[in-house]
This record gives sequence, C-alpha cells and structure tokens, in this order.
Amino acid sequence: MANSATLIETQALVKRYGDKLAVNNVSFEVQAGEVFGFLGPNGAGKTTTIKMIVGLLQPTSGTIRVAGYDVQTQPLLAKAASGYVPDTPNLYAKLTGRELLRFVGDLYSLDRQRLAQRTEELLRVLDLNEAADNTIDSYSHGMQQKASLAAALMHDPKVLVLDEPTVGLDPKSARLIKDILRQMADRGTAVFLSTHILEIAERMCDRIGIIDKGALVAVGTMNELRSLGKAGETSLEDIFLGLTGGAEEAAISEILR
Amino acid sequence: MNTLSAVPTARLFPSIWKLIRLRLLLNWNAFKHAKIGRKIGTILLVILAVAFTGFIFFLSWLLLGFLRSANLTRYVGFNVAPFLQSVPVLIFALIFLGILFSSFGVLLQALYLSGDMDFLLTSPVPIRAVFVTKLLQAVLPSFGLAALFGLPVLYGLGITGHYNLLYYPLVLLSMIAVTLAAAGLSALLVMLVARLFPPRRVAEVLGFLTATLSILCSQSGNLFNSLGRNVTISGSQVNGAFALLMRFNTPWNPLSWAGNGLVALGEGRWLTGLGLVALILGLCALAFSFALVTAEHWYFSGWAGMQVVAYKKKPIRPARAHSASAQPVQENTNLAGAQMSRLLPAPVRAIVQKDFLLMRRDIRNLSQLVTPLIFGVFYTFIFLRPGGSLFPDNPANPTIFSTISHLISSYGNIGMSLFVGWMLLSRLAGMAFSAEGKNYWMLKASPVRSAYLLTAKFLVAYLPTLALGVIFMVAVSILQKASLASFLYGLLATAMCQAGMSGILLAFGVAGANFNWTDPRRMNAGVIGCLGQILTGLFLPISFGFFIGPLLLAAVFNWPQIYGYLAGAVVGVTVSAACALLPPWLVQKRVERLDEN
Repeated sequence: MANSATLIETQALVKRYGDKLAVNNVSFEVQAGEVFGFLGPNGAGKTTTIKMIVGLLQPTSGTIRVAGYDVQTQPLLAKAASGYVPDTPNLYAKLTGRELLRFVGDLYSLDRQRLAQRTEELLRVLDLNEAADNTIDSYSHGMQQKASLAAALMHDPKVLVLDEPTVGLDPKSARLIKDILRQMADRGTAVFLSTHILEIAERMCDRIGIIDKGALVAVGTMNELRSLGKAGETSLEDIFLGLTGGAEEAAISEILR
Repeated sequence: MNTLSAVPTARLFPSIWKLIRLRLLLNWNAFKHAKIGRKIGTILLVILAVAFTGFIFFLSWLLLGFLRSANLTRYVGFNVAPFLQSVPVLIFALIFLGILFSSFGVLLQALYLSGDMDFLLTSPVPIRAVFVTKLLQAVLPSFGLAALFGLPVLYGLGITGHYNLLYYPLVLLSMIAVTLAAAGLSALLVMLVARLFPPRRVAEVLGFLTATLSILCSQSGNLFNSLGRNVTISGSQVNGAFALLMRFNTPWNPLSWAGNGLVALGEGRWLTGLGLVALILGLCALAFSFALVTAEHWYFSGWAGMQVVAYKKKPIRPARAHSASAQPVQENTNLAGAQMSRLLPAPVRAIVQKDFLLMRRDIRNLSQLVTPLIFGVFYTFIFLRPGGSLFPDNPANPTIFSTISHLISSYGNIGMSLFVGWMLLSRLAGMAFSAEGKNYWMLKASPVRSAYLLTAKFLVAYLPTLALGVIFMVAVSILQKASLASFLYGLLATAMCQAGMSGILLAFGVAGANFNWTDPRRMNAGVIGCLGQILTGLFLPISFGFFIGPLLLAAVFNWPQIYGYLAGAVVGVTVSAACALLPPWLVQKRVERLDEN
C-alpha cells in the first residue's frame, strides 16, 4: 500500500426501499493504495452500497466519506474525487469513444491540454484507439466496458469504484483491467470493486468485505478471513460459502442425479 | 445419469403453439399486473372495438341496402351494382397492400430488433416455428384492424345482396390467406433489406419517414380544407372516381381475384367463384410457403449479417490517426464553440454540445422534432395566404373592433411563432431530463451542480426554439412588410415567452422524469409532463396577452404607441422572466434526487 489515508469510510450505512432493508448498518474503511474487494451473493446489497458511495443513491441513514468529503453534505467534492464504473456500461450510444471522453473531461472541468493528453493516453492504454471515432453503439460489450473505465479514469480519481468490472470481458481485456487497477492502487488510489469472481478477489484484493442480506458479515485480509472460517476452510470460496449460507449441496446432487 | 434430459419435440405445430402460448402468457401477465386504471381502460377498449364493429356492420348494412335499391338507380340514373361488386376487390387489395407495407416496420422490429431472438434461436424449437410465430404476432394488429373495418362491410354486402351461406366463411378464410401471404412477402422484404443495411438504422429511418408522412398527410388535409372552402364535388367527378375504381377491377389483376371470386360465389356463379377463390387461396398458400422456406434460409444468414454490420469497424480517418500532441479536442472547436466556452462553465458547455450532437445523430429524435416544423410551415402558409386574415374587414363592425383586429393580425405572427415554439419545447424542455435515459448515471455521478444541469438543459431546449422563432419572425415580417418597431417588439415577445415556457416545461419535466425507456419515441414525462404541457398551453395566450394587451389599450384609448410598447415590455418581460427562472429554481433540489427509485 502506498499510504494509509482513509479514502472511503462508511459508518452505520442503512438503505431501505419501503419495508425492504437493502443495506443494514454497514461500516468499513478503504485506505489509499488499497484494493478492496466487495463480495456477496446476488441481491446482498453490493450495488446499492456502491451507488451510495458514488452519490447515485441517498442512504436512509449513516454517513459516507469519500476522500475526506461527506457524500451527502459535500457531494460535488466527493464526486470530483471518485470515478465509477457501473456493472452495465450504459454510455451515450451515439457519441464516439473520443467524444465521450471529451464530454466526461469537460464535466470534471479538465483544462483542454490535459483533456487532450488524457484522452489519447487512455484510448491507447485501453486499446480503443482504432475504434475511437466510431460511435459507441458499434462497440462490443468488452469495448463498452473499457470505454466506461476510461471515462472513470479521465480525471485521475483518488477513489475508483467498480461494480463487476470484469464481467463479459475476454481474458486479455480482463487482465488489462486488473493490471490497471493494481497500478492505480500502487500509485495511491483507493480501489473498491465488487465481484462474483472469487479468484479475482483472492489474487487482487488487499482486503475483502463480504456482505450478505444487507449486512457486512466479514471484513479483513485473506489471512484474517481464514481465521474466521471453520477449520479446513482455506480458500476464499469455502470461506464465502461458509459465511453466506453456502450451497445446498444435497439439494444440488438430488437435482443432478 | 441425468433423468431430466429428454429429446425435445421438433414438430412444427406444437412448437408454434408453445410460442403462441408464451406470448399469450406474457400478455395476460402484463394485464394481470397492470394498474387498475389500465385494466379498466383495456376492457373498455375491447368493448368499444366490439361496439364499433357492430356499428360499422349496421351502417354498411343500411348504406349498402340503400345503394342497392332500384329507386336510387332510377333517381340518379347511374347503376351502382358494378361499383358494389368492386367493393370486395377494393377491400382485399387494400388489405394486401396495407399489410405488405405496414408490416415492414413491425416485422423488422420483431425479427431483428426484439430482445428475445437470442433466447428463441438457441432453444430447441424449429426456426420455422419462430418465424411463423413472429409473423403472426406482427400481423395480428394489422389483421385486427383490417377485420374491424373490412368484415362488417363485406358481410353487409353479403346480407344486402342475399349471397349464399358459403360466402361468409370464405370471406374470413380469404382474408386470413391474403394477410398471411402479404406478411410472408413483407418478411422477405425485411430480410432482404436487413442484408443490405443495419436493421437498427433502417428502423430509425423508417420511423422518421413514417412520422413525417403522417404529419404531412394529417396537415395537408387541414391545408386543403382551408384552401378549398368553395370547392364542390360534381357528379361527373363522382362518376370518374367510380370508373377509376372499376378500371382497377380487371380480370388480369391478381389483387381483384379474391374479391371477384367471393362475389361470384355469393351470387351463385359457382364455376367462376370456386375457381377464383381456389386460385387465390392456392396462390396465397404458395406465397406463404415460399416465404417460409426462403425465410428459413435467409433468417440465419440475415441475422448473422446484422451482427457483422453492427460491429463493422469504420476505416480510420487519417486526420484522426495522430498522436496525443495533435490535441484532437480542439478539432471541433468553431467560432460559436469558442464564444460558448468563454460564456459558459465547462460542464454546461459539455452537456449542451453533447445534447445537440445526440439530437442530430439519432434520427429517432428528429422524427419528433419535425412535427412542430411541419405545423409551423403549414399554419404560416394558411395564415399568410391571400384572404387568410383572422378578422376580415367588415364596414359594419365598430372602429374599435377594426383597430383591435388589425393589431392582432399584425402581431398574429408572434402567436404563431409561440405555438410552434410550444410544440418544440414540449419535446425539448419537457423531456430534457427523461432524454438522458439510462445514461443519466454519468451526469449524476459527476461533480456537476444541479443549477448547471438545469442551465444546460434549459439552453438545449431554448436555443433551437429561439432560433426557429427568429427565423419565423424574420420571414413573416418580411412577407407582411412589418415596421421595424413591430418586428423588434415581436422578437422580444417571442424570446421572452419562449423562455417562460422553457422554464415551466423544464420544471415539470424534472418532476415527471422517466429514465426507463429504450426507444426515444416511447420516452415521456408521464402525467406530470402532460400537466406541464397543459399549463404552458394556458401560459402561451396569457404571456402573449401581457405583451399585446398594453398595445391594445393604447390603441383603444388613443395613447401614443410607445407607451403601449414600454408597458407591454415591462409586464411581459417580468412575467416571462419569472416563469423562466422560478420553476427551475423550485425543482433544483429534486434534480439532486432524480433516478433514485
């Protein structure tokens, strides 16, 4: 880790949709230079938590601080410090890749020279140069995902939040994104990512948080999580399944028999 | 061993039935889970459709009975029997051509652009079954419409002509056969076009053309009505129309075979009737089978072709293939852009530029924007045509009426400009936020103040409307030879009233913003958006009144006209500016919470 400043901090975070409790009293911290993996079964509250961190949703109660700024009371400063890659890359289909990056750069008020330089850099690094002047509706899912990451990186954020960043990517693109995230973290960025791919979490993340039914059931490094699991649970998969209720193996065997 | 695995049936008709059942289930679920108001609306619609069919049947029965009466023939001196025999020919020809062309767009959507194609193509169902189901699904509404209008007339014709009983089931059978043949050929046409052009682009262009043609047709009716107040239809013209219709009814025209065969059958001319009906049924079966077999072959290649087209890379333009040092960001910078960059904060400028770019590139947006333009051109023409004055001079009228009518006529161009602007703003301002759709997260996650967002959206709606209003005012003022004072005052009134409307519509658009749409034509701002349109519809004459009212008072009381101008400008500008600024200010907090449900 590059340094130990806290860049994401949630305290007693709660989100309700009517009677349904989507996120229940979630508190954690992510330090600068850290890659934090956020795991949980489907519908556990991962995306809701992420959307609250990046200011897309207002929490019912609790506080979130991003780069030291309160997301509810200082939303513009908090947003200026963070970049977000959603699970579905909904981008303006009729803009070209280059126009999209220019647009995002202007939203973050980058100066023209920096904007131009950053656009070309990101297009090159993410291998989007050839398609840069094609409209986004002609991009494959992987290219759209990379364009979305490029947009999030335009202003060189202190905090990078990614919701399932490697879904639908080919191995080369997935590797590229993993390398970029690691480099970002090494340069002091706090990277917060949700994923279903436990291998990514195990290999990439410095710390992991596991959320189940809206509540954070475990947070820590791999070694700390191992100490929480039962004897013999050494892999993240075993620990994850042990903490979140696991798979009903007997029922599965019955169905497949 | 997996005991659940089984070889699925690949038989055609059970597969078609499965797919139709799925569609019925989807419709039933949509109805079952709809809001109570929508359910009642649907039930009422069905009842109304049945009642309407009954009404058309009754009407055609009465009318056809009247036309068949011998007294009428004696009275008008024209035998209508040949014309009546041509009615089925006309109906069947209209059904065939109507379904052939109207199904094109629906089939394009159903075969190439619907989201369920991947699922259906990978399921163990014969491709022919998928094709037939999609075809039925696509033509059912058109067939329903054709049956709604065509069947009562054809059955009415049968009853009044005392046709034999075989006529009635064969009418329905022939109608189904002609519909299926037309739909099959239409599907082939769709597949042919999809092989040449990207289907999504074809759908966009088709939507634009359909919208433009519909508006042109509807408004040309108004234009002709307005121009042709004294036009009367002579008896010779009616006879000419009948003759034209009967010329269409010739034995070599295949489109006439179904109608002629059914009439012959109904009248008991069995040989001709059965021969022609059998011929048309056979031809339809042949056309449909040909379409099925060919479609089965083309479908896969057409589908695959679409994927290729969708991801085809454009050649890299040399000017763009340069290094970072070339600063491509400045390429699009023109003088106006440079001016704008000095005046506006970068995020506002970025949103404005982005919205204008998207508006221009997505032809589906243009199809909505073209409506006010057509309205504007038509009504301006009606307004400016010789004798088109709103208040024709009448010496019997009191002088004050004459003065007022002249004043309103000379400022009527403002009213017209505002009306066109209102239509344009209903789309641009009323749906400014909804237009972001699922991309709204990009704006919401970025550090852009809600005031900046509102300013940008205001400008995106207001600037094109203002430009249109100015062009309109200049053109009308030149044609009307208006004075400079009148022109400038009209310009001020137009600019300010449009600003007021923009503010109100923008605020209502925020309140009713809907980001869950995939087709821009289905984007709407709900009931609240409609309320905004109604309110601005009321604001329009009121704001116009604030500008023109003082001028009227000055004219009535013989005060110098300058007083009227000054008072109108002060009152009108104050009210309009308040409406432009206050409603967006009121919804500023709401913007921060948009898209959180």
